[in-house]
Amino acid sequence: MIDPLQASLKIAGAGLEAQSTRLRIISQNIANSQSTATVSGGDPYSRQTVSFDNALDSASGLGLVKVRSIGVDQSPFKLEHDPGNPAADSDGYVKLPNVDVLVELTDMREANRTYEANLQVAKQSADLLNQTVSLLKEA
Amino acid sequence: MTEVYLYQLASQRTQWLNVRQSLIAGNVANANTPGFQAKDIAPFSTVLAQTQMTMAATSPGHIAPSETELNPPRPADDDAANATLSGNSVDLESEMVKLGEISRDANTANAIKKIFHQMMISALK
Repeated sequence: MIDPLQASLKIAGAGLEAQSTRLRIISQNIANSQSTATVSGGDPYSRQTVSFDNALDSASGLGLVKVRSIGVDQSPFKLEHDPGNPAADSDGYVKLPNVDVLVELTDMREANRTYEANLQVAKQSADLLNQTVSLLKEA
Repeated sequence: MTEVYLYQLASQRTQWLNVRQSLIAGNVANANTPGFQAKDIAPFSTVLAQTQMTMAATSPGHIAPSETELNPPRPADDDAANATLSGNSVDLESEMVKLGEISRDANTANAIKKIFHQMMISALK
């Protein structure tokens, strides 16, 4: 069996990876919060969502966290009357992405917080390993 | 002279702390996983009280139960206030508190090992 401290380092690493994927999706959503279609009446950028899963890593036998799926938010697009826009349909309405920047920012804060927590676990696991090794230095 | 089992006790303590650390790591990593139940292990005092003779393995085919099989992780004390809509029961703050506890306890266990080692050395000199 793998050493528990090595295991926690691995698990925390998986947590960091999962949260950074989440941050990537959030930044993609924010960056595209105004991306309309290029053709008249076409659909704009759809907000992407990310969901996690506790998956067993067969190599180490540990329950690691991983990104289960990156989905597409099915909520309706916002409509704005802007006849001059190239993406406007025959009635002059433009479909805007279903991204709410406020929601994305809240999500970002949460991702940030969990990332920091994982970092803390990784730091402490490394610290405990070092302490154990430094027992050999004494006397 | 009675034998002193301080080394064994301290290393058992360290082992227990290490297993706990890996469970906390799992909890924190899954802080946003839907349906994930936070886990913890039995307190050290219970583990110590349950310490039993292990079965002898007289043939390579005999498999002794591992540490985690003897003390399986269990769901952390269920707190209704922690329940979220996604069914996740991880509370990051309390996990961080547990992390601090582990750090302190590991420091103590290591300090005991160090001191005891010094005592042995000074007795030899």
